[in-house]
Amino acid sequence: MAQLRSNLVPQDYYKSRVMIFSSIIWIVMAILLIRLWSLQLIMGESFDDMAIENRIRLLRLPPPRGAILDRNGKALAENRPSFTLSIVPGNIKGGREIIETYSDVLGFSPEKMRSVIEKSLLAPRFMSFPIKKNISLEEVSLIKAHSHDLKGVSLDARPYRHYPFCDLLCHIIGVTGEISGPELEKVGRVGYRPGDYVGKTGIEREYETYLRGEEGWEQIEIDAKGRHLASLTRKPAKSGADIVLTIDASFQKFVEDTFTERAGSVVVVDPDTGRVLAMVSKPGYDPNLFSPSISELNWKSLNSDPLHPLENRSIRGLYPPASTFKIVTALAGLSERVITPERNVFCSGEMELGGQVYRCWKQHGHGPVNLHRAIVESCDVYFYELGLKLGADRMAKYASLFGLGKPTGLELSQELPGLIPTNFWKERNYGTFVKDGENVTIGIGQGYTLTTPIQLAMMTAALDNGGNVMRPYLVEEIRSRDGSAIFRQTPVVRWKIKPDPNNWSLIRKAMRGVVEDKSGTGRKCRVPGLSVYAKTGTSQVISAREKIKSDDDIPYHERTHAMFVAFVDDQPKKMAVVVVIEHGGGGGKTAAPLARKIICRYYGLPDPGDPRE
Amino acid sequence: MPKTYLDSGVLNSVRKFEWVLCLDGIILAVAGIVLIYSAAIPMGGVGRSFVIKQTAWLSLGIVLLILFSFIDYRILERWGLWIYLFILVALISVSIFGRVTAGSRRWIDLGLMRFQPSEFAKLTVVIVLAKSLGDRRRGPLTDWVEIFRNLGLVIVPVVFVATQPDLGTAIVLFLVAISMMMFVGLAKRIWTTILGLTLVSFPLTYFGGKYLLLDYQKRRLMTFLNPDLDPLGAGYQIIQSQIAVGSGGLLGKGFLKGTQNQLMFLPAKHTDFIFAVLSEEWGFVGCMTILALLMAFMLRGLAIAGRARDDFGTMLSVGCISIIFWHVAINVAMVMGVVPVVGVPLSFVSYGGSSLLSSFLVTAILTSVSSRRFSR
Repeated sequence: MAQLRSNLVPQDYYKSRVMIFSSIIWIVMAILLIRLWSLQLIMGESFDDMAIENRIRLLRLPPPRGAILDRNGKALAENRPSFTLSIVPGNIKGGREIIETYSDVLGFSPEKMRSVIEKSLLAPRFMSFPIKKNISLEEVSLIKAHSHDLKGVSLDARPYRHYPFCDLLCHIIGVTGEISGPELEKVGRVGYRPGDYVGKTGIEREYETYLRGEEGWEQIEIDAKGRHLASLTRKPAKSGADIVLTIDASFQKFVEDTFTERAGSVVVVDPDTGRVLAMVSKPGYDPNLFSPSISELNWKSLNSDPLHPLENRSIRGLYPPASTFKIVTALAGLSERVITPERNVFCSGEMELGGQVYRCWKQHGHGPVNLHRAIVESCDVYFYELGLKLGADRMAKYASLFGLGKPTGLELSQELPGLIPTNFWKERNYGTFVKDGENVTIGIGQGYTLTTPIQLAMMTAALDNGGNVMRPYLVEEIRSRDGSAIFRQTPVVRWKIKPDPNNWSLIRKAMRGVVEDKSGTGRKCRVPGLSVYAKTGTSQVISAREKIKSDDDIPYHERTHAMFVAFVDDQPKKMAVVVVIEHGGGGGKTAAPLARKIICRYYGLPDPGDPRE
Repeated sequence: MPKTYLDSGVLNSVRKFEWVLCLDGIILAVAGIVLIYSAAIPMGGVGRSFVIKQTAWLSLGIVLLILFSFIDYRILERWGLWIYLFILVALISVSIFGRVTAGSRRWIDLGLMRFQPSEFAKLTVVIVLAKSLGDRRRGPLTDWVEIFRNLGLVIVPVVFVATQPDLGTAIVLFLVAISMMMFVGLAKRIWTTILGLTLVSFPLTYFGGKYLLLDYQKRRLMTFLNPDLDPLGAGYQIIQSQIAVGSGGLLGKGFLKGTQNQLMFLPAKHTDFIFAVLSEEWGFVGCMTILALLMAFMLRGLAIAGRARDDFGTMLSVGCISIIFWHVAINVAMVMGVVPVVGVPLSFVSYGGSSLLSSFLVTAILTSVSSRRFSR
């Protein structure tokens, strides 16, 4: 049988079948080639792009933030590394060991640790997933001791903001924080992304564009697992510029330490330039709490503190200027020729107007007082009468001339304007003009009148420098990392008050008397050898009290604010200082000695102490 | 007197040796090693061992090719059933003792090397079917009993292979059997019945597929139909592979310069997706060359089938060619996203000892058939 079959030559029998099979092979191959052709030669370019997209990633190189320095170059805000423990889910080996090791070190319960790791498994496999941020240095060393045998765990250092002086100058320096949604929308085009840190308050915020620097980028090649293979092109980040402040940290520290009261503000400026020499707002806070992010607990306690430690009182604290405003009233009276310096007003200790009694601070009155005595002894009745004669608008004119009731133009944009009442303002808000009784209180800087310490400081500076209303400034220089100055501040005279020189010297003489005269209210600010000019103020928080009690008997929130403005006219070093002590009692009693200590320190003189009566 | 199989054909064999076919296979395998080298570079140490191993397999393949070429293929007719039974036992033992790789049991560990019986099951099925189909009166298959008897020979290994699970090999086994039976021919009556049954079975397949296919198989099918459904999961292979092929263009990105390959975006690139490496680095021209070599191999093999001395030889050759054909067709189509991803290597080229050896055994059988076309 086999023989027979093999004799029938199979070639012919199978020829057609082989032909069919061959054609099937041809056809299938042709189909595959057509597909190949379309993939490689027709759609090739788009696949090319996809292949490039697959492997090229753009890595952001965040710039190091610039520092904030005091005028001597001492760092007030700088960068420090902060450690974050992350896991790369795709690399984890031995999840149980990780849980066992790190729950102990990090102080997590094993259950919490497990849930964190489970959560991380949902993240992209080769992206690092942070487990804990802000790890302390102790924890870092513990983790480092353990991490050598654990895969998939990484410790990353990221810069965070450090404030070496803690609460010193906290309101001026400000804080940084993660960019918020609305901020992101507002500055979206400048290249911020979620998670970036921006200045939130203070200089950190105002000079964000300088401090931030320029982001760099690096084009890297990655593989399928997202691992970094090679750098293709790289543009290094440009670090941010340093901001040099006008303030000397050691002087500021002295002022802050001297201010032991609960709340208030001190502003010291150089009258000739407007350079801020010290700026204190108490209570403060430690900006390090905000870095890299503030805990909920801390935020709540800061936010709900009745003394509002987050507010910068120097530019946002609204206080009635009280008797310090008498300088304005006096200049207005002289310039408008309502009074002459010699004319006497009899102070009986009170003044009656429209059935209302307005008391002088001196219960039994000053007797007959002229302008000089009225300022030196701060007679209220004299200025009640003057305020009544002048009217709100004329007083407002001179108040505005001194820069009161308007932002001073300091670099910090949250500055509040305060308020100088006028008939126009009163009519718009209350529908009536300023009443006589109100003019009376405006005359002594009470009533509606509200000013900020920085405004009072600039007023005082103008009294010293001959009428130049300066724009105060905090930033002396902006310095790029290589040390060259990008910007150097020049003093700006906002406007000049051109008073009659006689009036001007009269007022200055009276201010000198406040300190030097035996009956002066600011005698506690007397420094032998220095020509200190001053004016005290005691601003009432609640309307006139019937009985005069001693301060200790009055509840804290009903006590008067102690105000004190002073300038020292000694060449070549001049200074103007404003002290506001919230609920601190009388300006001459509590604020003046504080100002004296500051002045003494500034001139390097020993503190003479309170003068003997 | 027992006939020796190293008979007078030895001389004939040397003279009529199928140089073309053998060289074609060896060139393909060498090209394969070059591609595996390229694919292996980014894999590091493991990758280097792939190249060394494949070279070793190629050497072994060439030795086997020479050895088996001189043996009369008719020995397979006699021993076919035993080989078949041996492979069945191996398949069963694989599903019991086999090593699990990538979720399926396909390997038998022989200590020195691992052996994948499903690769050789294809050859075995070809041998028994060739015997069964060659040992009958010529003419189309008219008898259902005959068809089912032949199909039965395939179904048993198909079931074992499919439960490993190795869908790719099972499909190839089945397609090879069908191809061989088609080659013999089917009576008109049978054709019409099959056509009718096919129409009826469409809904059945749908529901069958729904309940019988494993989850990963279903997922592969679904993502084949729409790869963008799951670009990072099951669709990943298809997308990345198409990107690799497409970005190759006319001339390719150059040896060792394919980004999809070198940066490990391609999955299983040294085995089932080696064609994607080829397309990316050597472009359309490179693909054409390899496909032309494969096609030449098949057409040459078919010519041998047509000239074989006996029906067994013809059927054996046809079966061998079918194996190569289906591997090439399914593999290339899969890499280009024309058919779903099933694990089918590219004959001669893909990494894998069992696959390479079985390709060389195919070559050896064809050579043997060719050199004995005039001998008795």
